[in-house]
Amino acid sequence: MSYPPIATQRRSTGIPTGRLAVWWVLASEVVIFGGLLASYLMFRIGHPEWADAAVHTNTWIGAFNTFVLLTSSFTAVLGHQAAERGEGKLAARYLIYTILGAATFVGVKSYEWWYEISHGYTITTNNFWSFYYTAAGLHAAHVIAGAVIMGYIARDAAKNVNLHRVELIGIYWHFVDVVWIFLFPLLYIAK
Amino acid sequence: MAENIEQGGHGGDQGHGGHGGHGAEHGHGDHGHHINYKKIYLVLLVLLVISVAGPFLGIFWVTLLTAFGIAIVKATLVVQNFMHLKIERQIAKWVLAASLLLLFLFFAGVAPDVMKHDGAGWENLAAKAVVDAGIDSGEEHGEEGEEHDEEAEPEPEPVVAFAPDQAYSQICSTCHGAGGRGDGAGAAALDPKPADFTLAEFWETRTDADLVKVIREGGASVGKSAQMAPWGALYDEEQAQQIVDYIRNTFVQGG
Ligand code: HEC
Repeated sequence: MSYPPIATQRRSTGIPTGRLAVWWVLASEVVIFGGLLASYLMFRIGHPEWADAAVHTNTWIGAFNTFVLLTSSFTAVLGHQAAERGEGKLAARYLIYTILGAATFVGVKSYEWWYEISHGYTITTNNFWSFYYTAAGLHAAHVIAGAVIMGYIARDAAKNVNLHRVELIGIYWHFVDVVWIFLFPLLYIAK
Repeated sequence: MAENIEQGGHGGDQGHGGHGGHGAEHGHGDHGHHINYKKIYLVLLVLLVISVAGPFLGIFWVTLLTAFGIAIVKATLVVQNFMHLKIERQIAKWVLAASLLLLFLFFAGVAPDVMKHDGAGWENLAAKAVVDAGIDSGEEHGEEGEEHDEEAEPEPEPVVAFAPDQAYSQICSTCHGAGGRGDGAGAAALDPKPADFTLAEFWETRTDADLVKVIREGGASVGKSAQMAPWGALYDEEQAQQIVDYIRNTFVQGG
């Protein structure tokens, strides 16, 4: 059972429908993450005592995970480049590298949280830690979701099917990277 | 098959870009451009190193600049080059700009209330008290495992020990009144007014557990006025109980 999609490209926008949809998703993500981070910023400024809690986050772990995400963004964009050239197998391989990056990120994050929770810093310890776990948790959920979707896309791409989706998941992935680029100074560097 | 048609539709996306004839990249008029991804990636890594190194200088504005200034630069590099926003159609930029605008509206509307703790005719006593308590006691520690935490040096006990009478006179009396009659300076603006702690009837109709709950979780937690803020961040259960005892012993008449 198949029927042609109604439109794959909007005349008036000049953007393929899928890509436009990704931009809309990201626009709503901007408000979700932006609202969370803006609230955090307001509270940090209004409550100097939060700095006492923030000293306990581990800058090195945060920096390492930033490195991991930047690298995974790099492999994602290389996958896009390969897909543009019609090299589905290569694109799939870059997507797999990106998924490995996501797995590393989540693994490191799990260790970090395990360490903090076992030292008594939990989501209810105080408002700083509530924000910390909420923001980083929502972000980690996005990392996991992205990695799963990327798995499906890589499977198709290896067969040279739906290569344009490599770019779409890439755009989402870079956004997740950008969110972390802001979370890193907010949660780890501002002490 | 729908999937193939979808793909075909994308292939037809030759609408803009106009960078024909650039060697290696072809078949995709949309992104026929040359961005040196490797270079961007290396620049991002250098920026990361700077943002981690910056705070070691211990100069406030350097930290601010290296942390947040660089975050903005990094994000811009990723958005423009990896997400290709710089060569994306205008509409995508408008969509993003609209949501950023909403975000700033939210910030501008909420920030004054959250970032400031007083203003013309209002004072956020709860927030101020939390700031003071946080700063007085130095650090908020986790509950267990402190002894394993290399970073946390043994902290001296807070200099100001908890005393229920001081707590009452510093914080509660503004509304509840120095004599506990619910006639403090702050009560003039309150509706409903705080109850009269001096009445025996007050104490007969409430259990200590009720009162401790109100003090720690606020009036709203038991269906009373939210003007009675939650003070649980300041007082644990035992301390709240001590305050209740203090109020009873000090104000109640004929009970
Ligand atoms: C901003 C003013 C304000 C401050 C400050 C305040 N209260 Fe209240 N409190 C109220 C109001 C108003 C009520 C009445 C709520 C109602 O009846 O709906 C109330 C109710 C109560 C009650 C419950 C009375 C009942 O009817 O059961 C207790 C107990 C109490 N406050 C204790 C305290 C203590 C202890 C403090 C200091 C830590 C404190 N309050 C600080 C305004 C305040």
